[in-house]
Amino acid sequence: MIRKLILLFLVFFPSNTYGLIKVDITRGNLDPLPLAVSPLAIDIESKNKFKKILNKQDIGSEISIIVERNLKTSGLFNPLNKEAFLQKPDIANLKPRFEDWKLIKAQALITGKVNFVDEKLRVEFRLWDILAGREMMALAFTTVPTNWRRVGHIISDKVYERLTGEKGYFDTRIIYVAEEGPKTQRVKKLAIMDQDGFNNKFLTLGNELVLTPRFNKTSQLVTYLSYFRNLPRVYLLDIETGTQEVVGDFPGMTFAPRFSPDGKKIIMSFAKDGNSDIYTMDLESRVVDRITNHPSIDTSPSYSPDGKFISFNSDRSGYQQIYVMDSNGKNVKRISFGKGLYGTPVWSPRGDLIAFTKLHKGKFYIGVMRTDGSGERLLTENFYQEAPSWSPNGRVLIFYRETKTNDEGKGFSAKLWSIDLTGYNEREVKTPTDASDPSWSSLLSN
Amino acid sequence: MKFNKILKNALLIIVACLALSACATKKAGTGQMQGDVYTGKDTVEYLASGVPDRVFFATNESVLTTASRETLRKQAAWLRKNSKINIVLEGHADERGTREYNLALGERRANAAKDYLMTYGVSSDRISVLSYGKERPVDSGSNPLSWSKNRRSVTVKAN
Amino acid sequence: MSRNIIISSVLHLLLILFTAMSLPFLAKKPINLPPIVSVELIQISDKSNIPFAPKAKKIIEEIKEKEEKLVSEQAPPKKIKKVKPDAVPMPEDNVEKIKKIEEDKQNPEKIDNEVKQVSEFEKKELFDPNSIAALIDKSKVERAETLKKTDKITQDQDRNIENTGLSLSEEDALKAQIFGCWSIPLGLPYNENLLVRIKLELKPDGSVISSEILDHARMNKPGQGFYKVLAESALRAIKLCQPLRVPSTGYERWKDLQLNFDAREMLEG
Repeated sequence: MIRKLILLFLVFFPSNTYGLIKVDITRGNLDPLPLAVSPLAIDIESKNKFKKILNKQDIGSEISIIVERNLKTSGLFNPLNKEAFLQKPDIANLKPRFEDWKLIKAQALITGKVNFVDEKLRVEFRLWDILAGREMMALAFTTVPTNWRRVGHIISDKVYERLTGEKGYFDTRIIYVAEEGPKTQRVKKLAIMDQDGFNNKFLTLGNELVLTPRFNKTSQLVTYLSYFRNLPRVYLLDIETGTQEVVGDFPGMTFAPRFSPDGKKIIMSFAKDGNSDIYTMDLESRVVDRITNHPSIDTSPSYSPDGKFISFNSDRSGYQQIYVMDSNGKNVKRISFGKGLYGTPVWSPRGDLIAFTKLHKGKFYIGVMRTDGSGERLLTENFYQEAPSWSPNGRVLIFYRETKTNDEGKGFSAKLWSIDLTGYNEREVKTPTDASDPSWSSLLSN
Repeated sequence: MKFNKILKNALLIIVACLALSACATKKAGTGQMQGDVYTGKDTVEYLASGVPDRVFFATNESVLTTASRETLRKQAAWLRKNSKINIVLEGHADERGTREYNLALGERRANAAKDYLMTYGVSSDRISVLSYGKERPVDSGSNPLSWSKNRRSVTVKAN
Repeated sequence: MSRNIIISSVLHLLLILFTAMSLPFLAKKPINLPPIVSVELIQISDKSNIPFAPKAKKIIEEIKEKEEKLVSEQAPPKKIKKVKPDAVPMPEDNVEKIKKIEEDKQNPEKIDNEVKQVSEFEKKELFDPNSIAALIDKSKVERAETLKKTDKITQDQDRNIENTGLSLSEEDALKAQIFGCWSIPLGLPYNENLLVRIKLELKPDGSVISSEILDHARMNKPGQGFYKVLAESALRAIKLCQPLRVPSTGYERWKDLQLNFDAREMLEG
């Protein structure tokens, strides 16, 4: 109320025009913004070159399809059907005729062209504001031709940023656990793919059980749990070089690893004699610090983006609930007080929210709350789902969902899903096999 | 104030008991669960004649039931007789929990069994503990009976 | 001697094997991921900031004239399409030369204004490339379309006239119209003060003579990206909606009108 008064004061005070009528517009439509993604123009010579190198008929339209799909997937944009376009791709060299685009109700337009220059792929693109009749952005990229998908993602990120005011999340990867086989004998492998499901690669062979991979901030390193030789331990994997090492080689089980925001430490649980507590290990000095010391189960730790706090779940109250403490383990405070069990807290990259899994009356929910536990919002309900991971801009959550089996125990599947922070735009993230434990990388380019 | 609290707790316990008994009577039809602890024999294997290999737990619990203690005493006796055998206690949880919490819960269950074996004279050197969380269910069903079979600690010969 | 060497090499081999075994097996060698090639970002803003080459400029002006004529004649859109060329060519070849000329002519300050500079075509916008074209929109739209009168004058309007305000129903009609036109950018954070105030100058038929963002200084401040996005969406809404549903009478009351766009209510819900 007070805020509103101040706002009103702010609104009225500076206006020196006496008697000016003011109308408050507090509502609008939340429909995705209609926009047109014109296929990138390409000259014949470049087209043939790319055809040879990449085996793609028309790299220009392929890239524009990536952009279109990304923007559509975000749920914030509605890319219009290309068949309705009145102008051809060759407008890349021209100023578009805005009236034509207005006719098909586009509010923004992306044009551009691809060239083969010095063995490299060069893309120029422009973003147009149709209603204002002006150019909003113009950029060019050059890269090796095999990187063409990333060019599409980077264009998507730039457009997203220009039209929403926040960073995109398209030029990113997802590391996850690929699953196959019957429910009682699952074979699990580490896998990595682009955010849109392309370029999927398996990182382990599936000889041992692997779980919960998580990226570090530079997205070069992954920490995960492996049952190699039936010793569940936290491992570290460099995805560029393929080297890996044991990090949590303690006399017991180490699990639930995550990097600290500066990437210097790994925080994890260490279980011994029936008690799980939270520890950190400095990756350089290998110094181990005990953070919690409580006879309950303390696990699923996650740092705040500034590294000052840690959230985790503990059953010290009798049931699994979410707690926040200082990074040295002091000032432990319970923050979840709703009905049911709460787990897997993950701090948002913006720092203002914690995403979690909630189990209540036999249903699993993915939700968010403020870091003091207030403002709980449940985004999605299902038979089983857990382990949310934030997109680098803190806008979207990815998690995994398992299906209920029938009376014969058949019909089990595990899939990745994503949902917008608002609770809208829930969709499956397609993977070649069943999948779980997703972790979203940061933006690969900036 | 205090009295009030006691009264409240008592009421809660009564309600809980009623609820539990309601569950028990409802599931008595299957005859395989007591409360929500599995009492059947479907999945049980034997280390030796008359020595079951596993004990079962209630949801979110790692407390040994009377039946579990009896089973573990049999195991302890058998282990004392066969002093060259080492064992792995594999702790498991059902699929109705988050993965990481279940890993910890499985570890806690296996350790509950370990502690009991140790009090009956089995050396801790002979026992190792391994938690699988919800990763290795024995029954792939998505119903209370299947889940009760999966909440278990299994004693496996290590050599 | 040679025995020792054999023993030694066997032991070494064992050691190597052992170390190799002590780690989980990876799929093949190092992982075959696409190389992370840094993508150079090349600003082409100065290129497209240049005014049109003389020929092109002429064409544009011609088109503009034609457009205005056509619009004023209320020609159906189909006809416009036929008359207008598909698009206006951009001067690509003379880039280098013109760039040099540009540098001579322009003030040095204006060239490196912002990193992500928005390139503009209109020459007038060269004066301040950062500002949004539509900040002060002087483009006159000649439309003689009759207004849709949405509501009857209510009794309390008499009172409002004296207060120089709109009656509730008048205000509601206007609001309802703009609600429909305003696509709220969905990505905005709702915890920030994101109020966009736009002052309009209107014609009696409700079409917009000029629109001005009252806090436009905020538009180009660093860290105010969200504000800019919201302001642009508000301007688009006005463009999309005009002519505005204004009351049929009392032009003097509302010829200057301020719209306060506030998306928090929507974004919070």
